[in-house]
Amino acid sequence: MVSRWMYVSLVILYSFLLGPFVIIFMASFGANANLAFPPQGFTLDWFANVFETSQFVDSFWISLQLGLSSTIVSLVMGMPVAYALVRFQFSGSGMVETVFSAPILVPGLVMGFAMLNFFVLLGDMHVMTTLFIGHTAILFPYSVRVISASLRNLDPYVEDAAVSLGANRLRGFLLVVLPNMQAGIAAAFVLGFITSFNNVPVSLFLSGPGVTTLPVSMLSYLEYYFDPTIAALSTLLVIFTVVLVQTAERLLGVSQFV
Amino acid sequence: MIRRHNQNRTIVLLVAPAFVFVLVFFILPLLFLLSQSVLPEDGGFTLTGYADFFESRVSRIVYQRTLKLGLIVTGICVLMSYPAAFVLARMPARRRSFLMLLVILPLMTNAVARTFAWLIILGQRGMINQTLLALELVERPVRFMYTETAIVLGLTQLFLPLMVLPLVSAMENIPDDVLEAARSLGANRLTTFLRIIVPLSSDGLVLGATLVFTGSVTAFVTPAILGGSRLLLMSTLLRQEAVILFDLHAASVVAVVMILTTLAVNLLLRVLRVQQV
Repeated sequence: MVSRWMYVSLVILYSFLLGPFVIIFMASFGANANLAFPPQGFTLDWFANVFETSQFVDSFWISLQLGLSSTIVSLVMGMPVAYALVRFQFSGSGMVETVFSAPILVPGLVMGFAMLNFFVLLGDMHVMTTLFIGHTAILFPYSVRVISASLRNLDPYVEDAAVSLGANRLRGFLLVVLPNMQAGIAAAFVLGFITSFNNVPVSLFLSGPGVTTLPVSMLSYLEYYFDPTIAALSTLLVIFTVVLVQTAERLLGVSQFV
Repeated sequence: MIRRHNQNRTIVLLVAPAFVFVLVFFILPLLFLLSQSVLPEDGGFTLTGYADFFESRVSRIVYQRTLKLGLIVTGICVLMSYPAAFVLARMPARRRSFLMLLVILPLMTNAVARTFAWLIILGQRGMINQTLLALELVERPVRFMYTETAIVLGLTQLFLPLMVLPLVSAMENIPDDVLEAARSLGANRLTTFLRIIVPLSSDGLVLGATLVFTGSVTAFVTPAILGGSRLLLMSTLLRQEAVILFDLHAASVVAVVMILTTLAVNLLLRVLRVQQV
């Protein structure tokens, strides 16, 4: 059934998916400043430039804080929801699922704009707080889905055994269920963090003076400069992502949940 | 009965915090946005914002262009993914999981980085222009940037994984026996593909198409970098109305049209999926 032209389609698909990364990688070491192709010579100047540009360094720390805090909060609040959906059957469960998938249905850009109008312009809220709220909301669907998947893999009798042996539900959850969900939680954490860390649409309208996330500051850098600094930064980010995902995979085998 | 009552209380306690969070911090701003689009600051309820949007030539062109490019991108993604997904789904598990990782990896890199590559490929002194000049096919560099082609290429690269992933997982579930039965009963490759593989993977196709289309019509980074203000899409129009023209009323209309478009597509494709079952 699988014929030769189908393999050709595979080659086309992968060159389209990965080709741009090869080009970014090459450009980040090239000596010419005007993005001409092919890159001439070899230099590490663009990498140095990344670390010397304070807008990138500052926004990296903001993105890091934002990614960690919103992922943790979306997990802490999303986990009980996943537990309720998996372990209990109740009449409103369909509605609950719809509400928690809503952040996927609404375009991120629209959501950022709505939050700017309502919280920042009308409610005078700090942009960092608003960014945190926006990122937490868009992570709920992922947290709930990944944690639900990992709960479904766990035999409910194990928990029932703990309860029948005298633990209450909360103790049973903390001592039996939680340790068994390590991989699922780690998967949700990595996925959530990467989603927040890369997000542009929600952050775009909420980035104000002094508070800009890394991808948004990359975008605004491109409005003024056309040099390979962005290529160097992108190369660093790809390495960062691969290391993060690989570490999570080695330690906990998270790929089964993604 | 007491147990029942206790259980309901437990469920409420489990769900309430996150539920309230989404309601207050997510649904409420959207309702405010909706009210903004029909209640301008200096007056009562009116639909003139929407009338203006659909009567203005500029915004109508932008809306049509957005939908058109969304359809083209979805079409290209389907064509590129279908045969490749089939090969992937039939592969030994080890090799497949490595190749699938390579599909997922681009999804984990931010859109600015992924779109930047197209500047190097399509720019005035980019890869394509240098090749064309070297082969003496053109005398002067061709302008690829700020064209619909550039946006289509960028969006396709961005959303291709969202088509491949659901297609592969749908095709994995097609048993080999079915394909062998089709062949032994005399079906040729094309017939097998059209009458067995396509219907059995339609769930993945519909899901992938929904993700790619809604992603394309709402994406911001790619049209911002590759289209700029010369070639606006809905997302870049929204940004222009809000940040440069500071017309929040007009911007909120654009935003609501964007939500309604994505909701309509989701609903439509959900109906399609139900009918097939």
